[in-house]
Amino acid sequence: MTKTTTGAMGTQARVFEPSPAQPAPVTSTGAYAWLRENLFSGWLNSLVTIGVVALLMTLLPPLFNWLFFDANLSGSTQADCTGDGACWVFIKVWLQPLLYGSYPTESLWRVNLSLVLLFGTLASPFWLPKHLRNKVDIAMLLALPFIAIIILDGRLLGLDYVATDYWGGFALNLFLAAASIILGMPLGFLWALGRRSQMPMARSICVILIEFFRGTPVLALFFMGSVMLPLFFPEGTNVDKLLRVWIVLTLFMAGYMAEVYRGGFAAIPQGQYEAADALGLSFWQTTLLVILPQVIKVSMPNILATAVMLFKNTTFLMIIGIFEVLSTAQNALTNSNWLGGFSTEAYLFVAVVYWVCCFSMSSVAAHIERKLDTSHRS
Amino acid sequence: MTTEHITSATDASQEDIITIDKMNKWYGDFHVLKDVSLKVKKGERIVVCGPSGSGKSTMIRCINRLEEFQKGQMFVNGIEMIDDVKNIEAIRKDVGMVFQHFNLFPHLTILENLTIGPIWVQKKPKEEAEATAMKYLERVKIANQALKYPGQLSGGQQQRVAVARSLCMSPEIMLFDEPTSALDPEMVKEVLDVMVELAEEGMTMICVTHEMGFAKKVADRVIFMDGGEIVEENTPDEFFDNPQTDRLQLFLSQVLQH
Ligand SMILES: Nc1ncnc2c1ncn2[C@@H]1O[C@H](COP(=O)(O)OP(=O)(O)O)[C@@H](O)[C@H]1O
Ligand SMILES: [Mg+2]
Repeated sequence: MTKTTTGAMGTQARVFEPSPAQPAPVTSTGAYAWLRENLFSGWLNSLVTIGVVALLMTLLPPLFNWLFFDANLSGSTQADCTGDGACWVFIKVWLQPLLYGSYPTESLWRVNLSLVLLFGTLASPFWLPKHLRNKVDIAMLLALPFIAIIILDGRLLGLDYVATDYWGGFALNLFLAAASIILGMPLGFLWALGRRSQMPMARSICVILIEFFRGTPVLALFFMGSVMLPLFFPEGTNVDKLLRVWIVLTLFMAGYMAEVYRGGFAAIPQGQYEAADALGLSFWQTTLLVILPQVIKVSMPNILATAVMLFKNTTFLMIIGIFEVLSTAQNALTNSNWLGGFSTEAYLFVAVVYWVCCFSMSSVAAHIERKLDTSHRS
Repeated sequence: MTTEHITSATDASQEDIITIDKMNKWYGDFHVLKDVSLKVKKGERIVVCGPSGSGKSTMIRCINRLEEFQKGQMFVNGIEMIDDVKNIEAIRKDVGMVFQHFNLFPHLTILENLTIGPIWVQKKPKEEAEATAMKYLERVKIANQALKYPGQLSGGQQQRVAVARSLCMSPEIMLFDEPTSALDPEMVKEVLDVMVELAEEGMTMICVTHEMGFAKKVADRVIFMDGGEIVEENTPDEFFDNPQTDRLQLFLSQVLQH
């Protein structure tokens, strides 16, 4: 504020007077402002907010009561479930079969070891030194299904033999999905390459394979697998059921991946091939060193979506009598000691376990995408 | 840029490093190259110009077999251009190429862009390839960017990297297809400077470009293409000051207008 005074000489001088400090504006920052901006910005928005809050207040308390406060955790039989809430005793008792199937308890460490190897390898971009990454990564990944089989089977290592009939539970879902994804990705790339090839024969074969495995429901493929696959093996050999399933899932994955890669190929400018040709790189060098990494990079979101889909499809194995997690749950539900109707608990458990896995896959992929992103601007 | 001409490393007695004899090419029914004949001596610098769509790119892309021609004959460094993997490989070893849109590999660092050829094609040990790569990066004044990715560099920097990438393969001949037309004006000079330096060192060069200053300073011969034919071919002085054909006169008046 300024005020004019008249000085002795009759001239006017301006005198400075500080104005009082103002309070901070209420609406620009802070929780109140956030609420106002996001939840109550208009009458419609406010109405929706109030409705949602009311709905949550009626739904959440009973849900939490059922899930936690009234739930039964202690004990080991159906009779211990006396409260109104969930009977987690059921999950506790059946946890081992749900996770491991009927794999012998004293050998469970072999399953765990295989799982550690699986996750260790998948996480290798995070702990392997950079210069080793690509080569070692790929080699480890491709070897992984076979190493896991050797460990789980046990015979080659001089351990107790555990036949595949005993493998099961959620671990089996994980192993089958991982093994099919790992082998299906390179196979799908070969098919996608074949489809782009100049050779009419190779091209037609690849197109037929891709369209067949993409166009047929996975359940139909499982049934066909049990009938048709034995025809391709020498007569009299008994093809293991799990092996058949693995082959079917791998081909299924390959068909979908081939289509994913096709989109990736389309995103690579012609100039990349020309530059590689001009440098004198061979067809395979160009494909593996120049094109493949870029195809994978641009296809990353679709690769992940396909992998998650395949992982979820492993629950279909229930229908052809393989004891993966869902069929184990159903098995438990029909057990004569546990006929009290625990299906909510059982299916919720399966759903949560699946969700946790799929969510972690998405998070890891999002992380990788962000990492790759820095190098792909041009 | 001064217009003083760089003296040529060519020696009149030297034999031709590229001979193209009556080369013809069609895209379907479309006759792109019509009886194109051209001889280039070792160390000679050729500038090719002409209106858009006249077949300039197609012609130089035939020299390293990015395009095939259907009729005629071509020898590059004594090797005949035929449909044989061995010949094509041998020719590509001798010929480097720089593209209008750089075509660097976006997923590799600058250093890796430069070493991928030497390591996988020439089977050089990694250390040696990297040392050579750094040498060329110094030369195009971009060594401090070695560990960045192409997307992090400006257009002019990317094009200099592309030149260095070709040089790492120690080519005998360098092809340039409008190396500065995709660049912002302020970056044109840094790329031309690198090309001039290369010319001074006696590299055999064929450049498709409309940079007339560059042509006057560096070229031994300027070639004018139109409608798939070589219409006129002359020393830069004669080419610009005394064009023989109407087509070239028209073209020059259009190009020099702006
Ligand atoms: N792959 C192609 N298929 C059909 N026509 C093409 C193809 N590439 C180039 N052309 C045609 O050939 C002519 C010459 O092209 P180009 O050599 O790129 O010309 P310039 O480089 O002189 O501008 C143009 O008319 C162009 O449309
Ligand atoms: Mg062109």
